[in-house]
Amino acid sequence: MTDPAATLTGISKRYDGVVANDSVDLVLRRGTVHAVMGENGAGKSTLMSILFGLTAPDSGTIVVGGRELRLRGPADAIAAGLGMVHQHFRLFDSMTVAENVVYGAEPSRGMLLDRRTAATRVRELSDRYGLGLDPDATVGRLSAGVRQRVEIVKALHRDADILILDEPTAVLTPDEVTSLFAVIRRAADAGSTVVLVTHKIHEVLAISDEVTVLRAGRVTGRFLTGEVTGRELVEAMTGRDVVSVVNPGRGEIGDIALEVDGITVHERGVTRLADVSLQLRRGEILGVAGVSGNGQHELVEAILGAAATSAGSVRIEGRNVTALDVRRRRAAGLAVIPEDRRGEGTAITMTTAENLSVGHHRSAPIGGSGARRGWLSPSAQRSEAKRLIADYDIRTGSEQTLVGSLSGGNAQKVVIARELSHEAPVLVAEQPTQGVDVGAIESIHRRLLDYRDAGRAVLLVSHEISELQALADRVIVLYSGRVVAEFPKEEATTARIGAAMTGVAERVGGELP
Amino acid sequence: MTNESLVTRPLPKRFITAAIRHPAVVPLGAVFLAVLVGAVIVAAAGLNPIAAYAAVLEGAFDPRSLDYTVSVWAFTCGMALAAAIPLRMGEFNLGGNGQLVLGGLAAVVVAQLSPLPGVLTALLALIAAALLAGAFGAISAPLATRFRIPIIISTLLLSPVAVAVVSFLVRYPLGQPGAAVAQTERLPDAGHLPSFAGLSYSNLGVLIIIAMMVAFAVVDRRTAVGFEIRVLGANRRFGTYGGVHVGRLTFGAMAAAGAAAGIVGAIIVMSPPYRLIDGALISPGYTFAGLAAALLAGGRPALLPVTAALFAVLQVGGASMERSADVPRQLSDVLQGVVIIVLALRTVLDARRTGRSG
Amino acid sequence: MQVFEWSFVAAVLLAATPVLYASLAGALSAQVGIFNIALEGQMLVGAFAAVVGSYYTGSAWAGVLIAVISTALFSVVLAVGSALWKADPIIIAIGTNLLALGVTGFLLRVLFDVSGTFAPRGLNGLDTMSFLRGVPILGEVFAGQTPLVPLAFVFIVAAGLWLKLTKTGLRLRGVGEHPEASATLGVGVARYQTWVTIAGGGLCGLAGAQLSLGNVSVFTENMTAGRGWIAVAAVMLVAGRPLWLPLACLGFGAAEAFGFRLQGLGAPQQLTDAAPYAITLLVLVATRIRRPRGIRRSA
Repeated sequence: MTDPAATLTGISKRYDGVVANDSVDLVLRRGTVHAVMGENGAGKSTLMSILFGLTAPDSGTIVVGGRELRLRGPADAIAAGLGMVHQHFRLFDSMTVAENVVYGAEPSRGMLLDRRTAATRVRELSDRYGLGLDPDATVGRLSAGVRQRVEIVKALHRDADILILDEPTAVLTPDEVTSLFAVIRRAADAGSTVVLVTHKIHEVLAISDEVTVLRAGRVTGRFLTGEVTGRELVEAMTGRDVVSVVNPGRGEIGDIALEVDGITVHERGVTRLADVSLQLRRGEILGVAGVSGNGQHELVEAILGAAATSAGSVRIEGRNVTALDVRRRRAAGLAVIPEDRRGEGTAITMTTAENLSVGHHRSAPIGGSGARRGWLSPSAQRSEAKRLIADYDIRTGSEQTLVGSLSGGNAQKVVIARELSHEAPVLVAEQPTQGVDVGAIESIHRRLLDYRDAGRAVLLVSHEISELQALADRVIVLYSGRVVAEFPKEEATTARIGAAMTGVAERVGGELP
Repeated sequence: MTNESLVTRPLPKRFITAAIRHPAVVPLGAVFLAVLVGAVIVAAAGLNPIAAYAAVLEGAFDPRSLDYTVSVWAFTCGMALAAAIPLRMGEFNLGGNGQLVLGGLAAVVVAQLSPLPGVLTALLALIAAALLAGAFGAISAPLATRFRIPIIISTLLLSPVAVAVVSFLVRYPLGQPGAAVAQTERLPDAGHLPSFAGLSYSNLGVLIIIAMMVAFAVVDRRTAVGFEIRVLGANRRFGTYGGVHVGRLTFGAMAAAGAAAGIVGAIIVMSPPYRLIDGALISPGYTFAGLAAALLAGGRPALLPVTAALFAVLQVGGASMERSADVPRQLSDVLQGVVIIVLALRTVLDARRTGRSG
Repeated sequence: MQVFEWSFVAAVLLAATPVLYASLAGALSAQVGIFNIALEGQMLVGAFAAVVGSYYTGSAWAGVLIAVISTALFSVVLAVGSALWKADPIIIAIGTNLLALGVTGFLLRVLFDVSGTFAPRGLNGLDTMSFLRGVPILGEVFAGQTPLVPLAFVFIVAAGLWLKLTKTGLRLRGVGEHPEASATLGVGVARYQTWVTIAGGGLCGLAGAQLSLGNVSVFTENMTAGRGWIAVAAVMLVAGRPLWLPLACLGFGAAEAFGFRLQGLGAPQQLTDAAPYAITLLVLVATRIRRPRGIRRSA
């Protein structure tokens, strides 16, 4: 029995009080395809970052090829034989395939770039693994599938024996996925070790030899693919303690507050949303489940009006808002809690009071009305802010504290306080409890339920199945930009949602293998 | 800084930390460092830095030249406004010169053609200047929104074109025939801004500019538009999500900035010697002094008059410094440059401190 | 009036050469991802240093060398500030331009007790290449020019080829196009940006030397008179690609020289003053006019 290609032992990592990895062990055997599975936030990205030298672990050891490594950066990892193909490609669009592949590790004759050797190398690797790359093609013109192959050859060029693929099929068409699997198989058969980081069960079952499952930073399952079922994998990935907030069930369901019909979004040749439709009524919370990257954010932006759509319509309270800008959609009755609180939800260099007042700043009491339209009262801004701060228990020195100084949970409370205070008929909440500590999560959940009980509609987009189960009256699942399943509350079991989230439902008609 | 950390640290340190984080401290630090660097340079040249700085202050605040100092201060403030309004949105307006001369041109044309009595002509001239220069400044907005040409680039490229056009007009159609320098005819009396008794430099124009600055301060702090501009400057994406109209605000901000510069140009032309002289609007350097003042103030309306005063004092006092302490007046340019550079570098240190969490 | 005669070509080259050097510096900066608008100030420092150097050593070439070194050193603040410390290069550049103006004027007074123009007797300027007289074509074009003129073209072609053909050139382009990708592949972004900016300073030193020693040997306060900004416009016009620079700069130079001719006929000088900028802006707008159709915008 040969040595494993790599062994990670006891890897732990905390970020700002949140545990990303908790004593994780991972053994990668040579010549195998090893899948690392988990939901968002399970810790698989952190683990791979550590393995590739992008981050240092708080504790634990990494042994590659029999030697313990102290990785100070990706260069060290590359030198040790590791290669990583990121989910978001790092390619130079203006350069050729050969230039991209050899960048940073160029064959040269003196000062000159040895293009011929580079091209030969690309062709050689390409043939060996069945990749079919043309060294002189310009990368910017290539499809996502081919660009990914360029990334793979990049890693192979640096003599990677351990190839880490991070969510590789996210941007591929089904045919491209098949081709990729063929490449992965060839690589493994040739003696390389391939680590496949993914949440897609059917892919894991199709191509991997071994599986390690992570949940909340810990390893919850180690399997040989040939001996495990999809159901076991789903359980290992998604099983969780039930959250204590009780959803007493729906009250009165009212009229349709939000209607999305046939929304399609294309971005750079990739379809992010394909013909998505949904209806949301007053008095209900509609959950949108799915692993990050399956079109949820594009859906939120399409509803808000912050991004272009190529087809479809959006109606708020019966009004067709498809041609309207963000301000008018909000005026029609929309509030949005975006998932990126620093990039979209707040202005970190402005005060808490100012952040809380955006959207209210053109109406009384902060803004004027009638003759005083367009004016703004800083004192009203402050007093309103004080009210919200007290109401939502936002821990801040004062309302004048810069939002950038607040902790993640408190910054999130600012966003929530602001958006809920609009009392809009339709509230879209995207990952509302992301990066928030447990105590605050409960209060946020309570708020959302109260919001619904006041007769309003909530669209809750979340990666956490348990959160959806606690709050949603209905759950739809987005996968690869489509709605692939819908469950009323009673049928929204972890197993079914999890299966749909991982694409199983699409392939095998809703039944687990 | 959360509540907890505020509680656990000793009192004096809290004040110091809070003081360091106050937005006014970064520019103060930059100024202090610049003054130090300037002193070193002066000393290295074998001259006396203390005498030099004393002479600067003396020269600027000498009762006889206070009139001139105030006038320079006012023009610097006006041009600082032209830079500060877009800066609040996170944009650089490098087209102040072009906007300035267009304002002067508009004032000349109106003053020469207007049949109205004095006060009304002056008012009309100011309005025309604001409209022409404002429209010119506003061109950059659709260029940015629709053609994605950054404002810093379009203003940079448009400015010399405006300067050339005005220079041409002053030399040929509007020029005073037979004059030694290229200049327009002296403006008719109706186009003279009322001056203050006995003062040869400061006139009503100073009050007009102060009014503009107050207006800016009010709009910035007490109107929805001002708030939205600051929101865009803080985080553009956040502003978009919040429903702020980026295109419209950009247009308004650039128009206002151009108008401010245009009004300064009009005021200069309607003050002694009551002519538009080719190159005379640009050569005093109010535009870049104003830009420097705006940068130093971080675009904040309350700090603008202070930073503008700093640069005005340097400029005016520079002549006196040269006479009494024998230090070349170019030291004021040196100090301006050092202040800006130090400011750029210090802002990075500051940015590293806020917002680690979230 | 015959427009195309060798004296016209000579005038164009004379006008264009400082801008050629400065715009090359700007283009290389653009390739590594730093927007350099300090070219005006850098060129001014170079012009001053060249005159000072020549004055004290008696040799024009020593002056050129001193100009290159001084301007490179002067550029260290911009280089380190923007590449290493990630400060805003635009603000640093604005400060640099002011500093250059101040320092050169200050030293002019302190060293030579002169204000305005410094044209001491016996200041050695660069010799023209009179040895080329009589050589067909090359002689016509270059005999009355300093060696720095053809050198500018050599540098441009060398830079263009270097970017395309060498290993370092590839890395440099990558740094500018996608710094994150470069960093993960082990190419030090800050390092390349710093050195390219400093080298650009050296080029601006040559620009300044040609300006102050290349025709009439003199230094005047603020003698760059906006050429640095024309260089910035040229860089934008060619989108940072060095091999296109001669077209842009010679075009601008021709406009200037042509303008002088036309002035004799009463055409305004201001037209040629404005031309480089107007042309650049029009080209920028024209290249961005095409927008993808068929996408309903709701934002």
